[in-house]
Amino acid sequence: MRKNPWIYYGKKLLIFVVSIFLLSVIVFYIARLAPGDPLVSYYGERAEKMTAGERAWAEEKLGLHESITVQYGKWLGRAVRGDFGISYKYKMDVLEVIEGRVGNTLLLGGVGFVLIFVLALLLGIWCAWNEERLIDRAICKIGTVTSCIPEFWLSLVLILIFAVELKVLPSSGAYTIGKENDLGDRILHLILPMTVVVLGHLWYYAYLIRNKLLEEVRTDYVLLAKSKGVTGKSVMFRHCVRNIIPTYLSIMAISVPHILGGTYIIETVFSYPGIGTLSYESARYQDYNLLMVICLLSGALVILCNMIAQTINERIDPRMKGPDLTEDAEVIMR
Amino acid sequence: MAAVLELQDLSVQFHTGKEIVQAVRDVSLEVQEGEVLAIVGESGCGKSVLCKSVMKLLPQTAHIAGGRILVDGADITDYREREMEKLRGNVFSMVFQDPMTSLNPTMKIGAQIAEAVRVHEPKIRKAELDGRVLELLGLVGIDRAKERMQQYPGQMSGGMRQRCVLAIALASNPRILFADEPTTALDVTIQSQILELFRNIQKKFRTATILVSHDLSVVAGVADRVAVMYAGKIVEIGTTEEIFYQPKHPYTWCLLQSLPALSKGKEELFTIPGMPPNLAHPPKGDAFACRNPYAVARDYEEEPPMFRVSPTHYAATWLLAEDAPKIMFGRENGKKRVIHQEWKDAEVLLDVRHLNHAFPLSRKLAVKAVDDVSFQLRKGEIFGLVGESGSGKSTVARCIMNLYHKGSGEVYYNGIPLHDRKVYRKMHRQIQQNIQIIFQDSTSSLNPRMKVKDIITEPLVINRIRPKRGTYREEAVFQMKYVGLDESFLDKYPGELSGGQRQRVAIARAVVMEPELLIADEPIASLDVSIQAQIVNLFRHLQEEHGFTFLFIAHDLSMVEYLCDRVGVMYHGKLVEVGLTEDVFAQPKHSYTKRLMESIPLPEPGRKEERRA
Amino acid sequence: MKQKKPIISSVLLGLIILGCIGCRFIMTKDPTYMDLANYSHAPNGEFLFGTDTMGRDIFSMIWYGGRISLSIGFLATAISTAIAIVFGAVSGYAPRWLDEILMRLTEIFLSVPELLIIILLQAVIGKATIWSLAFVIGITSWTGIAKIVRTEVIQLKNSEYVLAARSMGGSFFYILIRHLTPNFISSIMFMVVMNVRGAIVAESTLSFMGLGLPLEVVSWGSMLSLADQALLNGAWWIILIPGAFLVTTLMCVTNLGNYLRIRNNQGVRNL
Repeated sequence: MRKNPWIYYGKKLLIFVVSIFLLSVIVFYIARLAPGDPLVSYYGERAEKMTAGERAWAEEKLGLHESITVQYGKWLGRAVRGDFGISYKYKMDVLEVIEGRVGNTLLLGGVGFVLIFVLALLLGIWCAWNEERLIDRAICKIGTVTSCIPEFWLSLVLILIFAVELKVLPSSGAYTIGKENDLGDRILHLILPMTVVVLGHLWYYAYLIRNKLLEEVRTDYVLLAKSKGVTGKSVMFRHCVRNIIPTYLSIMAISVPHILGGTYIIETVFSYPGIGTLSYESARYQDYNLLMVICLLSGALVILCNMIAQTINERIDPRMKGPDLTEDAEVIMR
Repeated sequence: MAAVLELQDLSVQFHTGKEIVQAVRDVSLEVQEGEVLAIVGESGCGKSVLCKSVMKLLPQTAHIAGGRILVDGADITDYREREMEKLRGNVFSMVFQDPMTSLNPTMKIGAQIAEAVRVHEPKIRKAELDGRVLELLGLVGIDRAKERMQQYPGQMSGGMRQRCVLAIALASNPRILFADEPTTALDVTIQSQILELFRNIQKKFRTATILVSHDLSVVAGVADRVAVMYAGKIVEIGTTEEIFYQPKHPYTWCLLQSLPALSKGKEELFTIPGMPPNLAHPPKGDAFACRNPYAVARDYEEEPPMFRVSPTHYAATWLLAEDAPKIMFGRENGKKRVIHQEWKDAEVLLDVRHLNHAFPLSRKLAVKAVDDVSFQLRKGEIFGLVGESGSGKSTVARCIMNLYHKGSGEVYYNGIPLHDRKVYRKMHRQIQQNIQIIFQDSTSSLNPRMKVKDIITEPLVINRIRPKRGTYREEAVFQMKYVGLDESFLDKYPGELSGGQRQRVAIARAVVMEPELLIADEPIASLDVSIQAQIVNLFRHLQEEHGFTFLFIAHDLSMVEYLCDRVGVMYHGKLVEVGLTEDVFAQPKHSYTKRLMESIPLPEPGRKEERRA
Repeated sequence: MKQKKPIISSVLLGLIILGCIGCRFIMTKDPTYMDLANYSHAPNGEFLFGTDTMGRDIFSMIWYGGRISLSIGFLATAISTAIAIVFGAVSGYAPRWLDEILMRLTEIFLSVPELLIIILLQAVIGKATIWSLAFVIGITSWTGIAKIVRTEVIQLKNSEYVLAARSMGGSFFYILIRHLTPNFISSIMFMVVMNVRGAIVAESTLSFMGLGLPLEVVSWGSMLSLADQALLNGAWWIILIPGAFLVTTLMCVTNLGNYLRIRNNQGVRNL
């Protein structure tokens, strides 16, 4: 792209904003179309026993009596100013609710993310280097098995073994009550869920790296590099691995929402107080405002990551660069 | 003087699971300092494997089954990887065939050359390293070296890339240079430049060079000695003059005869019947025997040893044994061609006027692929359209076939304006029946998941025409016989056929509609020389016996010279010269045509100095 | 590269599928009968795999529930593959602007969290049945295959045999069916098999979370949703046995998928 970078990024920003907007509309409508009673999440079970009059009053108080479009308009008006409303369940400002939990999820998901990709790269390189030898086949087999284990089941099994039988690790929560700031305690609580997060995704990416490397290793330019006298290890790192990095980066970008979003299962099993469980609850129990914000956040994350991935692909990979157009006619005519 | 490289009874085998393929069998040769030894042979004869086996660049399925490799007297046959790494680049290096894929597309050229230097001089400092890189780039004739260093391979043309590959190969002053088909993927004019570059460098540094090629004409101008390989063995070896002017082995002679330059004016191109043997089960006796027009009984029983013809000339054929019959090589069917001139007075079949076509690159820039091209085709003639890559000749073909919709200009077929959309839509069917196209790469022009018989009859099926011979199957059989394919191929898939056979299927598909005009877009480019000859003979046959008109697009000038009645030369989208073949080739008028004609390698060693006038 | 045929996997998978289909002949007890007198018993002679917290015989539940889990897996994959092929092919073959729009739409669609869509669809459709669950899973998992189909079609549409077919007069649909589809089928085969795996996992996960089939309907996932209590009692058989079956089935499917994929990769290693 030889264009002005301002225009380039400006365009992207525009697309981002429009997409978020569209997303908000879609989610808003879908959420309200789902049958179920938001009043229940606010008032709890009392809602079912309300009289019609009480219902009407409650609905008006929460602003639910107007048409959907009007409701959306009001929501949009407030949202633009930073006011995202109140969570029906927690009776607090939505942003506060999220704030309380987001750190936990980021910790679990974020650290897990880094671990996954670093380990996957190393593992993939090792396997590609030892292609078809015993160690490669063994790791492949093990990897295949681990990737087949559903996350929730793995969580259950780990809890069974380590928390129930062996009693070495805690089975739930992010920290023991009273020890919120104890790092050691936090880490203990993180070990099991983190293991599940990492194991659940590790092999997929390691295998991907392995296969991409195996492709590179079969190219002609590897042969040329060898013929220069470059050692095998050098060729692997300086040529093959180097060539797959851009692709790897864009895959990493795309998998951010996938990994972060997938933690909700693990959070549920481990009763880990994070955004995952929050989103599950808000969807299940019609906590509209909370749901909106969570959806917007995750949607924004997805779109952002996709854009980053696209940008990486377009900018960094020199394979995408075509012939130099200021060249002589021979090339221009191609 | 000790030879720089010596091979003694080298044998290389490939283990592919079930079978053992003997790719190289008992090869012995030596190369002196400063000389160029060419190894020629068709694809599959083992010449590439030979070079790679010396450098131990073969895949893990291959291994050296016997014999020795000596470099400067030292036996490197059993060297391990680590020792070989020290030798590669330093003592020997290699130039590969396809510069497009031999260079790492994501690494700058400068960095790739620098790597070659640094491997053997790890302590070299950056400034000195850069200097060396610039020096190497200059050595191989790349201008604006400082800029080029920062470019990526994808930004360079084929010729420049190959120069870079050469620069990499020379980085550490190797004693031996292997060049595996270095110019096959390049245009003719670039090819002659690169060959000259090779020759100059080789003379300058006295590098022992081994040039592998299937093209004898290329070899004639560059090599000192030539070794001919067939089915993994060297069948004849000698100086270039001896091989070209006094070949003793029937295969060498057949190869020479296959050159279209030697069939000028004859009715048919010389072809070698049959196919090379399967090296998993090499036949008893001489591997060439079953295709050998001069085979004697002994050839089928015993492998001939190398007979000495002169101190420098050896050939492995029983014809040289004392008790062998004395045979003079000669062509029986070297009949002169009866030239049909009827087409000169025939009506104009295709009339192209001011054809233009541009490919958009971005919103503002466009590449003019076809620039004001006009020519006419008469019924029954073969018109050759030549030009190097990027000249626009393929685009012209596709425009005529209306596969591209933009662009301006007029194309009249039998008077019908093809460019007029309304008329075209009405006469659509008719026109499609009468103009058919054959593409170059038969691997991608045939649907790999369709059976041969379905491929051939597809045009009938699409246009809902009842086959003339009854059922579709019978029609397919008929067409296959027509193009020389055996009935047994009916139910096979393209993947099971060889290149030449696939191309015949493509031709059968084209002629099944009995068109008037056949457009052949580089139909022989990816085939072996002897197979090319078969296809070209088929074209000649179709023209003479059945009156087809051909638009033959190619870049192989000697084939065009043999086959075509008239020729048009394209350069950068423009048609720079048109005329009768003899006229254009013998007395080119346009400067580009002249350049083109001069670049054609001639299979006449020793003559090259004269030609460069 | 030698590639051993996945015989063991195929046989195992075959056995499991057969067992599920013919569950009526294998089951020793009624899988839905809640024998409250015998709840949470460890495996023994009468209850081969033990009983769960509601007294149901796990052995019978495995085979009976397996039917449901497997059929949802296959159904969902069939749905997602069909959508993917149509979408991918149209997108790949269409002119650039249409392709761009479709891609943007997919992205937006993707950015709505799966969870929400699933919950919504469930709520709209009512109580989950096999079909509704398969539909829901199918709707949310077609994008992977669609991307591949699209890439393949874009590459294929420029190959010379398509050009040749066009020059012969072939129409869009003819080319799509006769030339394009047979050629990208093999590259998506691997993903299709992987999707079966994903669908089975999705079903069990959803049922476990209470979003899938209700407790009364027996499936491997719903069997596991009683795990909390099982943990407290240390009743490992409730957790491990259904899980083991799940994992084994998934592994067999994966092996088959890998075999298919590797068969397409040739090439000699240069390093």
